[in-house]
Amino acid sequence: MKIAGNIPIREVEERYINIQPIQAAGRLTAEAMKALIVYGDGYSTCDQCRKPFRLDKITKPPIAEFHNDLARFLGMDEARVTPGARRAFQAVCLALVNKGDTVLVSALGHYTEFLAVENARATVREVPANEANIIMGDAVAQKIEEVTRENGHPPALVMLDHFDYSLANEHDIVGAAKAAHQYDVPLLYNGAYTVGIKPVNGKALGADFVVGSGHKSMASPAPSGVLATTSEYADTVFSTTQMIGDLTGRQFGVKEVQMLGCTLMGGNILAMMASFPTVKRRVKEWDEYVTKSNHVVDTLLGIKGNTCVSEYPRKHTLSKVDTTGSFDTVARTHKRRGFFFSDELKQRGIVGAFAGATRAWKFNTYGLSWDQTRYVADAFQEIAGKYGLL
Amino acid sequence: MDDAVDYVFEALFALSDLRVLLRETAPLHKFNEQQLSQAREALARAKNALEELDEELQK
Repeated sequence: MKIAGNIPIREVEERYINIQPIQAAGRLTAEAMKALIVYGDGYSTCDQCRKPFRLDKITKPPIAEFHNDLARFLGMDEARVTPGARRAFQAVCLALVNKGDTVLVSALGHYTEFLAVENARATVREVPANEANIIMGDAVAQKIEEVTRENGHPPALVMLDHFDYSLANEHDIVGAAKAAHQYDVPLLYNGAYTVGIKPVNGKALGADFVVGSGHKSMASPAPSGVLATTSEYADTVFSTTQMIGDLTGRQFGVKEVQMLGCTLMGGNILAMMASFPTVKRRVKEWDEYVTKSNHVVDTLLGIKGNTCVSEYPRKHTLSKVDTTGSFDTVARTHKRRGFFFSDELKQRGIVGAFAGATRAWKFNTYGLSWDQTRYVADAFQEIAGKYGLL
Repeated sequence: MDDAVDYVFEALFALSDLRVLLRETAPLHKFNEQQLSQAREALARAKNALEELDEELQK
């Protein structure tokens, strides 16, 4: 079965348990699928776009209401949808950071934070993690002082991931926000791995900006994301155009410069909206998902030679484990080398582990039922048993 | 033919519900009682919408 003759049907989610590290929480809800069916056409949000002609002001469908709900959901004052978290980093950097400024990011920060800073012609400085691979507030304070001494002024912004993409360790957001605010530096909370799966209250955490990823953690299609902020920074980051055409005298009034006008104008925002009731409900089930994650990690740790590279016990559903002492010993002599492991998993209906990897690798159990969680854990144990690793 | 559009969407929505049930039960697709009843209900909605659609097309 193919679409348009050459596009294969993607049936990974229907046929397998997918433990791919970044795909788990972006899987669509049934409601989002329905929204995509109905609103997939290009400018489908614009049927009833009335003055002042801006996406976040549209009331039919209730996009304006969704923006208010999003801000409330994140404990912030204002929110906009963006084409992914990266475009939110970019918007904040372009609004707050000047050429030659310094921006602090985590030593475990995502590459798109680097690009957003570079895009603003500024420079990143990395805050080191401690020996447990956690970014602490005092390390942020120390780095701010270091940069201030060198540059004569503090960094323009601190960007910190609550849970990082690499290990999914939890970092000291509250401590970092306190440290940043002592030097009057705003803090951007990168919630790509939290917003939509665990409760996040930006103001309570001390964040000036909360960024989330729709396709990573809000059961939405790519690209989609959210940028929320306080009333203190809203006018700066959501500033409206002042430009006037020199020939025509045209002005575009309410269009927001950093958003480049309207952002998600079709199925993406409607799918995001359609998933939102589920998202609001599921964040309350976060602890249960973490328990499931620990069940799988514990099973892996029960296999001799395995270690958990991420902090343990797990506080997240994304984990990095090291199986050099177990599955990799099999890979060394197996005719399929490291691929034996992904082959064995696939035979059992599990995909998403990096094909060929048997040393350090990541997986994500978010969204799995208990039946599926036990099934994955049992599969790891079964494979270990088959190769005499137990 | 006015109602044809509604029936098309209704069938697609019911099949979307069924699709999600397949995801939730992968890879074995062994439905428990509740899932089985949800699947039957979704299938009935899809069938009904398609029958109505067929009638609509014959008008």
